[in-house]
Amino acid sequence: MSSTPASSGLAATSKTKGAGLSDRWFSVLLITPAMLITLIFAILPLAQALDVSFRMGDLSRGKIGDYVGLENYRVVFADSTFWQAGWVTLKFTVVAVGLQMLLGVGIAFLLHGATFAKGLTRSLLILPLATSAAVTGLFWRYLYDTQFGVMNWILGSLGLPEPNWLGDYTIALWSVVLFDIWQWTPFVALIALAGLQALPKEPFEAAELDGASRWRILTTLTFPLLKPVLFLVLVLRTIDCVRLYDAVAVLTRGGPGTATETMTFYLYRTGLKLFRMDYASTMAVFFLYVMLVAAVFALTPLLKQFTDRAKEA
Amino acid sequence: MKKSLASASVLALLSSGGAFAQECTDPVQITWSTIAGFYTDAMAGFVKSFEDENCAKVTVVNIDNSQLYNKQVIEMVGQTGAYDVVTLETAEKAEFAENGFILPMTEFFKDQKAIIEDVSPTLRAMTVEYKGDVWGLPYYTYSSGMFVRQDLLDDSTEQAAFVAKYGYDLAAPTTWEQHRDIAEFFTRKQGDMLKGQPLDKDLFGVGLMAGPFPEIQDELSAPLWGMGSDWLNAEGQVPVDDVEKVLNGYLELMKFAPPAALTVTYDGVMNQMKDCQIAMTHGFFLDQWPNAVKTEENCPGAKMAAIEAPMKKAYVGGFLLAVSSSSANPDMAMKFVAHIGGPVIQQQFAEMGGASTLTSVLTNPMFATPEKRTTNGQYATLNQVFSSMAGFSSNLFKTPFGAKIYNTMQIPLQSAASGQITARQAAEQLAADVEKICGGPCPIAN
Amino acid sequence: MQRKTSVFVETLRYGTIFLVLGFFVFPIFWMVLTSFKPEGAIMVSPPRFLFTPTLENYAHALHDKNFLFYIKNTLIISVVSTAIVVVFGSLAAYSFARYNVGDGHILFFILSTKMMPAIAVILPYFLIFRDVGKTAIGKSLHLGLDQHGALIVTYVMFNLPFAIWLLVSFFQDIPRSLEHSARLDGLSRIQVLRKVTFPLAAPGIAVTAVFTLIFCWNEFLFAYILTRKMASTVTVGVESFFTLQGILWGPVAAAATISVAPMLIFVLIMQRYMVRGLTFGAVRG
Repeated sequence: MSSTPASSGLAATSKTKGAGLSDRWFSVLLITPAMLITLIFAILPLAQALDVSFRMGDLSRGKIGDYVGLENYRVVFADSTFWQAGWVTLKFTVVAVGLQMLLGVGIAFLLHGATFAKGLTRSLLILPLATSAAVTGLFWRYLYDTQFGVMNWILGSLGLPEPNWLGDYTIALWSVVLFDIWQWTPFVALIALAGLQALPKEPFEAAELDGASRWRILTTLTFPLLKPVLFLVLVLRTIDCVRLYDAVAVLTRGGPGTATETMTFYLYRTGLKLFRMDYASTMAVFFLYVMLVAAVFALTPLLKQFTDRAKEA
Repeated sequence: MKKSLASASVLALLSSGGAFAQECTDPVQITWSTIAGFYTDAMAGFVKSFEDENCAKVTVVNIDNSQLYNKQVIEMVGQTGAYDVVTLETAEKAEFAENGFILPMTEFFKDQKAIIEDVSPTLRAMTVEYKGDVWGLPYYTYSSGMFVRQDLLDDSTEQAAFVAKYGYDLAAPTTWEQHRDIAEFFTRKQGDMLKGQPLDKDLFGVGLMAGPFPEIQDELSAPLWGMGSDWLNAEGQVPVDDVEKVLNGYLELMKFAPPAALTVTYDGVMNQMKDCQIAMTHGFFLDQWPNAVKTEENCPGAKMAAIEAPMKKAYVGGFLLAVSSSSANPDMAMKFVAHIGGPVIQQQFAEMGGASTLTSVLTNPMFATPEKRTTNGQYATLNQVFSSMAGFSSNLFKTPFGAKIYNTMQIPLQSAASGQITARQAAEQLAADVEKICGGPCPIAN
Repeated sequence: MQRKTSVFVETLRYGTIFLVLGFFVFPIFWMVLTSFKPEGAIMVSPPRFLFTPTLENYAHALHDKNFLFYIKNTLIISVVSTAIVVVFGSLAAYSFARYNVGDGHILFFILSTKMMPAIAVILPYFLIFRDVGKTAIGKSLHLGLDQHGALIVTYVMFNLPFAIWLLVSFFQDIPRSLEHSARLDGLSRIQVLRKVTFPLAAPGIAVTAVFTLIFCWNEFLFAYILTRKMASTVTVGVESFFTLQGILWGPVAAAATISVAPMLIFVLIMQRYMVRGLTFGAVRG
């Protein structure tokens, strides 16, 4: 957070005369409703989680108990399952987000150049987004089934090997990734497509007149112009992937064994199956801390862009 | 004497008629949280009769089986009183009792001992009683035996081939070694011969529930208990060697199971059975009989049988109805438990094809007829299971950590089944997980 | 751009588009197909494409399971949540975009609340709503457990960060000069917002609304913990098809198809609007 510009926004905003309300108060008034909800419903539970992380908290054996200092942190950090879940989460996020961005942008370029049935294509593309992972995940389980599923029936008919999509511990995670790609690539593609269609025409025409190669136009014009929107999509997708729960819960329940157990699923198992709210809260606090540290680095450029533009008079 | 009895019944009639005429304007509200599906739907009618008789309004909340435990615990911990009657898995009773989530019903049943004694004794020991108290009534049992394709065992061509290969007669398995042999024997590829006919799809010897659900432990309970061991020994620890041994036997079986074994639970196995893909099950819930018997409609020549598991031990359990201690109307809730678990409703439940828990119902000759075979055909086997297992109880049901252990144990077991770790590693991990959950050796109630 | 494309390239392009669409549409197609299958045609191998279609799964979902009840709940909760998110989010985002309130710090804080793992806060939420539901305000606003208000507040909270971040960029693309001249014409700040800024940002607001609605519609975890029966949403309602006799695949497919339909219709209506909106907020030159 310290990396955000330290200068106050107050100086940048000029006082407007004649109004009963100063800009400062007006702007504060505008954020009040949103901030009230956020403060109450973010800070309160978070404070509680932080508090519980320092106490004994086996919910199914009564209430939250005595303070135990850093004991919960010691237990959690020494828990190999916890670190393994972190590793699974990392693998999932990097691969899923990476592929979604690549494929999404690729599809956007593909559709951008097309002239035929554009509206229909876009409508069909949004289908996976309009469904709930908790429900469509179920049908993916059915598609993946080795006895009754369509996937292996097709592969088998073509004489290809028939993987045990969700049962083979070496590929189960990638099967969950494939599901997430199916659901979320359209999100990336649609936004990237909109971005492409909004690019100003003039610089491209000028570049073409200059005889610049396609590759050069792509790297020096298209991508730099698309960067801000792609970056926001990247951030949003990363946050969602790191917090992945629904898809795992419905497709594999973390299995086989713990092969697909992500951080949030392990949190769920600890908090809502074993009811060790102390360990669960500790993990959550640590999880949030790591996310925040990562976010400070990742978001600074985006944040700076926002504040700079806000300060433009 | 006779006269006074008659007048008493007239009085009773009058009073009940009076209550009826008075009309129920302000019914007592109770809520029952339970599992979705046919058995609950069937209960809807019985709920109605209870409401009419007692001036109550019963709300039934359906919850997915896999979520039932944590949803109920949350409401209990929050003391919301949202659920008056809860539905517990066998392994969960001790935890709910020990933590004061449910009320003992010993006092309530003091004058109705007959109902309690009608619950099959084996089932009663595991589901109803804990530390000398009665905690509710089971309304439905999923106690296990196993299902086999009897037509395969009875086929003379197969019998001849089997005896030639293994040196003994093909019949329902009585040991787990025989079970393995039969599984191996019937594992065949598409185009291979079965009963003298070429197969139009692969056949697997056994269907297993090794998916990420808490049912692999139900299967493994059969060989583990069958060898005289248990998930927890008297010291409250996992007997690592024994678990390793049964797990190795199970891994051997995985070779003869469809690959989907690693992703499914009982419904998947039933689907495989009904699609003519498997020859038999491992230890399996007998309440699925009406489902299993549909195989006979789908697979030409198929004949299903429900039999006891090898070594005559398998997972025994039932869904226990208990009364939440945060209930605002515990008296009405207890009446409801006695109503649903009692003989009148259980009889009607059985007539609709439900897996009843009462001896009087299970042994009623009306369910032993050929017409009742497709709906109640497993009753005879269920009675055998209960009598074979009389006096047996598992320590898993006697520790207040049973539910948590039960909800965790499929993880190492499934890891081993998928080949990620060895049986030894899985058994050791299970022991470590259990020790962590209990904070040392698990307390075992007597 | 140069338009010198060969037939070969175009064939390749449409071929690829067809394959891509096939991948994204097939699972939904299979779900819809399953919803019309009789029970005996679902769990069979090889998978069956030809069968006598039936409506019994829809009858089961709509009649026996009363699935419209869950649709109604979901509709109420999603629409109200979305409306609140859009209003509160727009006001806040405008403030961030124009006045730079908090100089980025508050904006960062708001996004950081999205990073909180829901499972860690779900029990505190449960307890908060249990207690709030007993108070006079809680009762009048239906904020108790198993009431619509509790889920609405939760969804507002969890969708505000996304909405605000998206909206900030939309507002920043509206030229300040327009607002300035409106002020000079004697409009108050609120009037400027109402008559100039918000109408200009309408496409962006539409995009935000669509995504918020989709997220609310499909949420499972909070809906599952904070409701029991009366306020349960479709994702929770689907659970009543997971029975002790196995998953009722046909009825689940029917229920899922029914629950996707309103979203789809809504998205199709908003489509043109959305594309303009995405375009509008997405790229700054």
